[in-house]
Amino acid sequence: MIRNKSMRRASLVSTIVVTGAMLLSTLPAQAATPGVTATGIKLGISSPLTGSAGLSYGKVPGAMKAYFNYINANGGVYGRKITLVSRDDKYLPVRAATETTNLILKDNVFALVGALGTATHAKAYKAAALAAKNVPDLFVNTGFSGFTNQVKYPTTFMVLPTYAMEAKVIAKAIKDNFPGQPSVLIAQDDEFGTDGVAGFTAAGHKFSAPNVLYPQGYFSTAGRDAAVITSLKGLLAAAPGSKPVIVLFGTTDVTAALLKAATDAGVEKSFTWYAGSVGADANTLLALGVKSTTIDGVVSASFMPDAKDLTDPYVKQFVDINTKYNKDIAFDNYVLAAMNSAMLTVQALRAAGKDLTREGVMSAIETKGAKFASAGLVPLGYSATSRIGYNGYWVSQLNAKGEGKPFGGKLVVYTTDSGAGAVTVSTFVRPTMPKNGIPTNS
Amino acid sequence: MSEFITAVLTSLSSGAIYALMSIALVLVWRSTRVINFAQAGQAVLTTYIGYDIVQKTGSYWIALAGAVISGAVIGAVIDRFFMRPIFKRVNSGPIVMIAPVAATLGLLGIIQALIGFKWGLTNQSIEAPVSTNGIKVLGSAIAFSKFNLLVLVFVSVAVLLLTLLFQRTNIGLALRASAYSPEIARLSGIKVDTVRTLGWAIAGASSGLAGMLYIPGAFLYPNAMDLLLVFGFIAAVIGGLESLFGAVAGAMVLAFAINFATTYISPKLFFPTAFIVLVLVLLVRPAGLFAAKMSRKA
Amino acid sequence: MLKLTPSKKRLILFIIFGWILLILSNQVGDLKLYQGSFVATYALAITSIILLTGYSGQLSLGQSALMAVGAYAGALAIFNVGLHPVIGLFVAALVAGVFGLLLGLIVARLSGPYLAGTTLALAVSLPTLANQFPILGAEEGVPFDVGSAPARFGEDFSQYKWQFWIASLAALIMVWFIANLLTSRYGRTYKALRDNPVAAELSGINVGQVKVGAFAISSGVAGLSGALLAVLISGVSPSAFPLSLSFALLGGAVVTGVYSLKGVILGGLVLVAIPEIADSLVSRIGGSEGFTISLPGFLVSALLILAVVFAPNGPGSLIKRKHHKK
Repeated sequence: MIRNKSMRRASLVSTIVVTGAMLLSTLPAQAATPGVTATGIKLGISSPLTGSAGLSYGKVPGAMKAYFNYINANGGVYGRKITLVSRDDKYLPVRAATETTNLILKDNVFALVGALGTATHAKAYKAAALAAKNVPDLFVNTGFSGFTNQVKYPTTFMVLPTYAMEAKVIAKAIKDNFPGQPSVLIAQDDEFGTDGVAGFTAAGHKFSAPNVLYPQGYFSTAGRDAAVITSLKGLLAAAPGSKPVIVLFGTTDVTAALLKAATDAGVEKSFTWYAGSVGADANTLLALGVKSTTIDGVVSASFMPDAKDLTDPYVKQFVDINTKYNKDIAFDNYVLAAMNSAMLTVQALRAAGKDLTREGVMSAIETKGAKFASAGLVPLGYSATSRIGYNGYWVSQLNAKGEGKPFGGKLVVYTTDSGAGAVTVSTFVRPTMPKNGIPTNS
Repeated sequence: MSEFITAVLTSLSSGAIYALMSIALVLVWRSTRVINFAQAGQAVLTTYIGYDIVQKTGSYWIALAGAVISGAVIGAVIDRFFMRPIFKRVNSGPIVMIAPVAATLGLLGIIQALIGFKWGLTNQSIEAPVSTNGIKVLGSAIAFSKFNLLVLVFVSVAVLLLTLLFQRTNIGLALRASAYSPEIARLSGIKVDTVRTLGWAIAGASSGLAGMLYIPGAFLYPNAMDLLLVFGFIAAVIGGLESLFGAVAGAMVLAFAINFATTYISPKLFFPTAFIVLVLVLLVRPAGLFAAKMSRKA
Repeated sequence: MLKLTPSKKRLILFIIFGWILLILSNQVGDLKLYQGSFVATYALAITSIILLTGYSGQLSLGQSALMAVGAYAGALAIFNVGLHPVIGLFVAALVAGVFGLLLGLIVARLSGPYLAGTTLALAVSLPTLANQFPILGAEEGVPFDVGSAPARFGEDFSQYKWQFWIASLAALIMVWFIANLLTSRYGRTYKALRDNPVAAELSGINVGQVKVGAFAISSGVAGLSGALLAVLISGVSPSAFPLSLSFALLGGAVVTGVYSLKGVILGGLVLVAIPEIADSLVSRIGGSEGFTISLPGFLVSALLILAVVFAPNGPGSLIKRKHHKK
């Protein structure tokens, strides 16, 4: 105990002073709709900017800001300029929880866009009381089908196809293109991976060996990867003469670690690698040290055009915007996806009308969202009862340059649902891009 | 059998790196009676300097030399301008127990923050100068690469040089004397303060080498060497915090324990093994497995 | 006239303080309540450090590990066993306390850097255990759900106010308990131990036992604060209790006076305020990503060093010195 009176007084005084300072620094009372003023709209995003996932996703907020700046330079949304507040959650659920809470409480954003990660966003949604505060949670950057549950996530709108859908398409692709080959699933050990596992089960796909659950943590020791490769070698030994299909359902750093381990062990060409869309960005894999000879031939699935395909009008437009508004950042699939989501966001804000409210933007997506223009080669599924964005995939194959071309040379789009529905070939035709990439919808 | 050989070889190569860190900690402990938690910061800082050199010159070897030299300089500067003034000021009251730990911890935090300021927080990497693929023995690759071999060679040379320094030179004698008994050393004309700074310099060089040998197999970010600090500390404690030999031997014991546990029992035992080994040693032979004296209460 | 003993005075003080917090909580917005909950939680964690380090002289870097133990224990109790959240908090403190007891038995005979280093190793290795046992949910962790406020408070009762109430109440009760402990003969025993272990032993104090006891109680307090932290981040996972948390807590404790409980609230405020100050500094002078994220750590470390050098006995001693100069 502080016996000395003056010391005690000093501590007490300093405590009161600091407390008072913090209380008094409360911001002035907010407008009726948080994040919206006559001249601006404030949006927020919590995503990995640093850390292992930051390597691939770190570009997303910057790319979205670039598109928003382009729109702001062209009149904004009914005269309001869009600002995006970006916070780093390092792909860690607890940080996502605190940063998202900060976005709502401190930054007073109107809506969240592009929240990233399954485990991260699930925790963040609850911690930041998004349901209670009715904060729109737009175009989340994850395929976890749980987010379509409107009871648990009443304000969430997906954009990526669910992982369950992807698994079903992969299952069909394996059945159609690699009949008779043994197959194994290596999935990330969290809700993301589990979603994929469920999808394969729903598709009725039987793997030849038990699923390998790859622990998600911040350590990836060589021993762990080597153990996985050893078990894969066991698969080869059990079925000589085959070329097993290995499905990798994890983020890029996980995919890269495994591909590198396989290359180090010299067995990379003994398997057909099927990389789930989340982990298949060729540029990132190359940056993480995977050899281009290993990447050559990796099969994957996508629902967007390839970022290197300049014949696609959307891609070309986004590349232009990137050059002008996002200097020094190389355009890749992540930038493409980010700008695409930004374009969807602008259309949603416009569709809500000049009197912008949280309720308004959400019902706008429900009623008009399915018709929004976007770069996606598959349809959007928004409706009064569905929060699903894209609902399909096309099968791609990477070459040594890291380009993703349609598998077998012809683009075939599959659509399906997250449940037991069949996988069907789609005849979807993409809406024309608005002139100069500036939406004029209402 | 090949699993056994692999485990032995990987133990040797990780043990070699732990040894460098452990040596650094023991050197500082013996000269200043402080566990230098900031050693992790020094190691990672010098590695970032090495990274910059690689970016500019493309040569790993120049970077290695640069890291070691800057490690020595930084170590000396820290002792002379940070530790010494603090110890002069803080020399009474219960804070004396906390001060060294708080000081080195605070220094660690500051170094890591400064690295964040200058280099940012994204993971960087340094390419190894030789192959990191498993060497092919009898057709199949083992988990030991040319780079692992390089690490072993370098550390062995370093330990040899240090041993020669300590046992065969006057400076080495002065270092040992100052550590053993500063008053008597001073009386016999040894500039104890200078010698102590020299100890910090050598420690800095050692941790600089450790960083450059460790990072090519991992990512470089401000906290990249924290783990190595913990393992270096555990290795030093196992070895007795007394001697070069103890530091190296302790590192090997730790590395073997960890590698064999993760290979034969479960890969998940990576950290728990280290902690268990530490606790066992502290309970059974608190002075360390290789120590002569029995005291370890500071 | 009622005789007001110091302990009665203290009780009244705590009760009054509690009422003030209650009234304040109805006046301020969600943000302040959210921050206030963190202040309470950190203040409680710092209390555990003051007991362990300031009073019984054992410098441990493992508080984050003990907080993790408490958080996991409490979370599992609520989530897997279905116990009431309040019981969950008890379980958190109890399990962490028992863990601290066992840990104390191992490390109590260590001193100085050996203790620091060993607890450092603990702080690094313990969170990774969460990846070994599937029940702990790895990085996704276990949710820590204290539910929403009882229906009688109305539907609009903010989740943040509820958490603030829980955090403050738990912290107040525990800190009051520890304050009583430290002014009792136990507190004097701790201090005797810290200042001169040999003399303490000679005067009949069982040094080992006392040290272990201090470890156990301190761990229980840390465990409770860990559980409260888990409430605020709505769950527990390994990354919630990194080594840097131990450093920050130690920093907060030293900066606000590690030898006395009077500074714990200030310590909590400092830890919550630093990221805010860093934020406003950055918006004022701008800076790269690396600068923004590293700044709070820099401030905490710098404060720690400055405190150790210039005000080892807490900020009060600075004022005292000025007083004497008059």
